[in-house]
Amino acid sequence: MIKIKNLEASIDDKTILKGIDMEIPAGEVHVIMGRNGSGKSTLANVIAGNEAYEVDSGSIAMNDTDITEMSIENRALEGIFLCFQYPVAIPGVGMAYFLRSALNAHRKHQGKDEMDALEFLNNAKAILSELGLDDSFLKRSINDGFSGGEKKKSEILQLLTINPKLAVLDETDSGLDVDALRTVAKGVNKFKNENNSVLIITHYQRLLNYIKPDVVHLMIDGKIVESGDMSLVEKVEKDGYSWLEK
Amino acid sequence: MIDSIKKSSLEFFNANGLPSKKLENWKFTSSKNFKNFNKSSSKAEKQKIESDELSIVFVNGVLDKNSLENFKFSDLLEVKNLDELNKKELLYCSENFLKESMFNLGISEFENGSYISFKRNSVIEEVINIKNYFFENGNNERVSSFNIFHINEGSEISIIEEDIKENHSIFNLKLNKFICENSTIFKYGKSFNDHSQTYSLSYNYYQIKKDVVLSVDSIITSSFFNKEFIEVDLNNSGSDAKINILNLGKEEQHVDNNILINHNAEHCTSFQHVRNVLDNKSTAVFNGKVIVAEGAQQTDSNQSNKNLLLSLESNAFSNPQLEIYADDVSCGHGSTTGALDENSIFYLRARGIDYSSAQKILIKAFAKEVIDDFSLSSLQDISEIALDSWIDG
Repeated sequence: MIKIKNLEASIDDKTILKGIDMEIPAGEVHVIMGRNGSGKSTLANVIAGNEAYEVDSGSIAMNDTDITEMSIENRALEGIFLCFQYPVAIPGVGMAYFLRSALNAHRKHQGKDEMDALEFLNNAKAILSELGLDDSFLKRSINDGFSGGEKKKSEILQLLTINPKLAVLDETDSGLDVDALRTVAKGVNKFKNENNSVLIITHYQRLLNYIKPDVVHLMIDGKIVESGDMSLVEKVEKDGYSWLEK
Repeated sequence: MIDSIKKSSLEFFNANGLPSKKLENWKFTSSKNFKNFNKSSSKAEKQKIESDELSIVFVNGVLDKNSLENFKFSDLLEVKNLDELNKKELLYCSENFLKESMFNLGISEFENGSYISFKRNSVIEEVINIKNYFFENGNNERVSSFNIFHINEGSEISIIEEDIKENHSIFNLKLNKFICENSTIFKYGKSFNDHSQTYSLSYNYYQIKKDVVLSVDSIITSSFFNKEFIEVDLNNSGSDAKINILNLGKEEQHVDNNILINHNAEHCTSFQHVRNVLDNKSTAVFNGKVIVAEGAQQTDSNQSNKNLLLSLESNAFSNPQLEIYADDVSCGHGSTTGALDENSIFYLRARGIDYSSAQKILIKAFAKEVIDDFSLSSLQDISEIALDSWIDG
């Protein structure tokens, strides 16, 4: 699905990623854990194409297509979806209009006809119901006045509407109460199947009680220093990260 | 009476000349091109305009009385020439306007001004269209006009005004006075979409009595030069004035709003919301002031100016002011100026929406917040179309 080779990236001339190698095949859930400032969110942003970051070397490929130099929107259309850690509020832009615009941009890219308003609304309402959100959610402006939990649910609503190939969840579990965490996890589990992939960036084990990862990566100072199974998460919870430092 | 007012106004203008940048309301507005215009010599009577049953037509600022024959509600109107008014207070406009040399020039030059009075308890659900046609004998004419609209007690009136011009270079110097008597609802909307090289300078004075609901909605797109003075006197208790203005500027266009709201009585509310979207080398000026007089307790006033700059060469000058002389009031004001938020653009692009579309979505969202506050739903519809056209143009 996605192959990252020797990726180095910087912001404001400060190198953050110092040679990331990672491959997430279709059907797998990978997790990245690491201390604050280790480069986890930078990796998520670089995968999504955030132009604030400079890729200094290395490459990112989606299904054998090199996307390293691709624009943000074209990466999205190729199937990359970033669940934002801090989703921005955009007053004046309705959720329904935004979601339908995004969905139809993908459908156009896939050579499909635009989804008509009625079909879109029926689909969106079904997803909202699963997320425990009222239909009136669609009438609100993007993330404007949303609680922390609503913002993260909004991200999952977008994920399930667009149905991308790779979902990158950048600390989606932060700031969520147990009920909201379960709802978000339920949404991610509904999304994942053998044809798509999930990359979860998190500090904590609690989301992973609901979403079972296939591979866990530990990141220190811009590099992946250890990869393994769920036992790595338990070790981090117990011992922290200092055992990884030389 | 009019002749003596005109004479003293001309003397004032001759003594003071064109406004200089030393004046606060003209600090960021050049009047140097005003001297290229001469007083209009065209005669309104020469023009024949067809109008519908909901329209009142003005030609070069002068009421076309033929349009009243078709007007559906002419029986609710009392129309006089300003020369016929025998009460000086009806002609009175703001002291601040009287200190403006251009206002005085307009007073000295206008001809055949009209007093249009809606009789008591005139409740008209339909929106009345005021159509201002401009015809010139040639380029570089200055058309000055002065008209008074009187909304009598218990009336509910909605008006949308539009200018219709040939593509000439003219200077439209327009003076209006609106009197809202007790317990009236007056909704006034303006939609100008002008691609000609027109200079438009207007002075609108609103004299508000008791328990009045006033709304002023305005959208200006593609106006070469548009400077507007609005002054609202809230003279009696229980009245509410809402002003919502959206200006869209491109190329070297200039839009300019000077709003003064005088809270002279207790228990009144006012709301000013002015947004400018500026591209290329366009400029916008906002001078907004609220004065709460001593004794105007329980005043609730809010003033907001937001400017969206779409180019490095566009400029917005914002000057929101509050003067409060009462101690039991709620007054707020704020001003922001900035470019499109890059984080918002990133967010939209990360969902597959291309850069240009993301920009358009954000511009529309910024502008639409004012349109959504318009009191006149038909002006909302007109404005949304004008906004889409401006964004795509």
